[in-house]
Amino acid sequence: MMPDLDRRKFLKMAACLSAAFGIGNLPEPVLAALKGIDGAALPKLIYLQGQSCTGCSISLLQADAPNAVTMVTEYSKLAFHADLSATSGKQALALIEEYFSGRAGEYFLAVEGAVPYDMPEACVIGDKTFADHLIQASETMTGAVAVGTCASHGGIPAAEGNPTGAVSLKEFYKRKGKTPLVINIPGCSVHPDWVWKTIVHLVQVGLPELINGQPKLFFERKIHEQCPYYHDFQQEIFAKKLGDKGCLFKLGCIGPDTYADCSTRWWNSKQSWCIGAKAPCIGCASPIFAAKKDFPMYRIAKKGNK
Amino acid sequence: MKIDIGPVTRLEGHLSIQTTVEDNVITDARSVGEMFRGFEVFLRGRSPLDAQQITQRICGVCPYAHAIASSYAQENAYDLVDVPPNGRIMHNLIQGANHLYDYLLQFYQLSALDFIDVTAILKYSGADPDLVRLRDWVKAELASGKPFPAAPFLPRLSGKYLEDSDLNIGALKHYIEALEIQKKANRASAIFGGKFPHATAIFPGGCTQDPNIDHISSYRSLIRDVKEFIHQKYIPDILAVAGGFPEYWEIGQSKGGFLSYGLLPYGPELNSPRLFAPGVLLNGSLEPVDFEAIREDVKYSRYSSASGLKVREGALTPEPHKPSAYSWVKAPRYKGQMVEVGPAARILIDYTQGNNQTIKQLVDKFAGLAGIGAENLNSVLGRHLCRAVSAVVIADFLLDEVERIDPGAPTMASYDLPESGEGFGATEASRGGLLHYIKVQDYKIERYECVVPTTWNCSPKDDKDQHGALESALIGTQVANPEEQIEANRIVHSFDPCLACAVH
Repeated sequence: MMPDLDRRKFLKMAACLSAAFGIGNLPEPVLAALKGIDGAALPKLIYLQGQSCTGCSISLLQADAPNAVTMVTEYSKLAFHADLSATSGKQALALIEEYFSGRAGEYFLAVEGAVPYDMPEACVIGDKTFADHLIQASETMTGAVAVGTCASHGGIPAAEGNPTGAVSLKEFYKRKGKTPLVINIPGCSVHPDWVWKTIVHLVQVGLPELINGQPKLFFERKIHEQCPYYHDFQQEIFAKKLGDKGCLFKLGCIGPDTYADCSTRWWNSKQSWCIGAKAPCIGCASPIFAAKKDFPMYRIAKKGNK
Repeated sequence: MKIDIGPVTRLEGHLSIQTTVEDNVITDARSVGEMFRGFEVFLRGRSPLDAQQITQRICGVCPYAHAIASSYAQENAYDLVDVPPNGRIMHNLIQGANHLYDYLLQFYQLSALDFIDVTAILKYSGADPDLVRLRDWVKAELASGKPFPAAPFLPRLSGKYLEDSDLNIGALKHYIEALEIQKKANRASAIFGGKFPHATAIFPGGCTQDPNIDHISSYRSLIRDVKEFIHQKYIPDILAVAGGFPEYWEIGQSKGGFLSYGLLPYGPELNSPRLFAPGVLLNGSLEPVDFEAIREDVKYSRYSSASGLKVREGALTPEPHKPSAYSWVKAPRYKGQMVEVGPAARILIDYTQGNNQTIKQLVDKFAGLAGIGAENLNSVLGRHLCRAVSAVVIADFLLDEVERIDPGAPTMASYDLPESGEGFGATEASRGGLLHYIKVQDYKIERYECVVPTTWNCSPKDDKDQHGALESALIGTQVANPEEQIEANRIVHSFDPCLACAVH
């Protein structure tokens, strides 16, 4: 559980994020809760990218209800995002500096990507390293959301043998002796619903129960538990080769070890999802995702049976 | 006067441009990639099939191009020659739809705000609900007295924007619509890829998804909607921007050759003819592509490993404080020469060969409408137009290709992992030529190398001090406000840089 997470803070964060990510069609109690907070005084959201691939930002643009259109037309809370902002260069740096120095009012920080702890020069924004931006922000922000697996767990940039000493946002702050509020929402990429429906839950019901620092609503059960191939698993009907029908466990599926609700939520406007396309789960929302070289994503027979 | 116009926004990742400006002309430019992760280092020693997933995380904007390049490289390394037709068709359907989304995102979300005037919405008097909401919101923001009202649309760089308010308002409406349409393209690719971003159902040798009418009909319907938007909105909007800024048919010309690996094979074999033909244009003459002619220089890149290495010899030792270096991006060169990759290269190379008659007809038609020649495709507007031409051709191809799926027939080649092998895999990401190389030893990755589109386009100078394509396109450009340089921003955006790709 997070130490300093009171309901007031959460409500503010929720309102800020729901505005930034464009939650338009909220149920009445949620709107009422949002209205209880002075809209003009709502904190802004500054979205920064570290060692990231922008996949989470692109995923947020795939949201359906609400959609990205709402995000950019109805709400003003997204003060900066490098992929969307018209501003650029020194003008953009001045905007960020106004917030990070505390002069522009209250704000939340969203971070996509890992932090290169051992090689700060491996990520630079303007005149300083990403790490220095994060330190400065820790003194002034109300809290932070770690968007995606890199920011939540280190992810791919932190894979075994990486040359930059990449770490998650929380781990970075821990090593620097800082303790800001950080909420982890993993996934490589993150599912857009996981980000904004966390917020709805906060506003409508209050503090969601967290498991391992992640909202229980989405990360309570393992993919395997609600998998459409669960029956095949019990009957020991296993796919033996890629493309076969049957439970994908023997091909390396790590749905049995991965907490996420993909099996019921699906992806891209509920069009599809990995196991729905008969692709083994690679555990992209898990802390062990891609972490170790000797834990391959797929179990495929080796020629010569070695 | 030295002026850094970074961080440049509305592109993927961390890019700065350090310019020298004299008498309002850019006399020198340095393209600076600011973020490094080290994929080629941490891929070593992993299972080769992991590369299929890990290399997609090089870029969350064009992950499918990496999945395809990795598939091709592994198919070559595994000597897979029996990829079923359905498998290759699904590869194409996934990758092609990804191009369509990327072109729309690139024009509307990443480039349009360089040209269209957002404040035109204040004068809107119609009844379109999206535009009314946008207008009321911008008004309220500007009246609020808060810092940075109407972000992320404002503040913006100073400069001339499109003056016709109907065109501005139409383009703003399409900015909003494009966000919905790009989702449809991504839904289409997710049908066969499993999800977007980062597909899990693509493998060397095919795709695991079922080839059935349920999937075929959904895909067809989604791509039809995207195609309609391309014809009715995207192309007219590009021509409208071109009408307002005709000088950009000349501005932003790169000063080297062109390279394209070709895109979308017509058959399951990797050497099948492609919808877009591969080739290299050097000094105006066309050559077939030879991967051995590529070397990567690092004199100005932050690595201590040797310079001028061939792809299959690639090495990567980071040295963040290397005195001569100014970028994390390497400088790949073809036969020692700088080349541009991307939509203009792809179209010019295909056009020069006369490979695809539709491409030739479209280029001639639009060039006629705009009053330009094919040589003007090497320009800011040329790159945008080439994306639109690519979009038209790819959408038609995908609607034909989806009909070629044989329902119920196999989609995956059957294989075991080989103890050793090596292979190249080359395709076109939306932003240009993408090359992967894998060497497998003792069932593990011994070496993995990626030479990525933006590595070419946003490269620093090479060992012979030749500029990269973007740098060369910036030098000589007139800038009205040297501190902000909206002109340079337009040039940068026309290349559609992806820095996570470029450095990886």
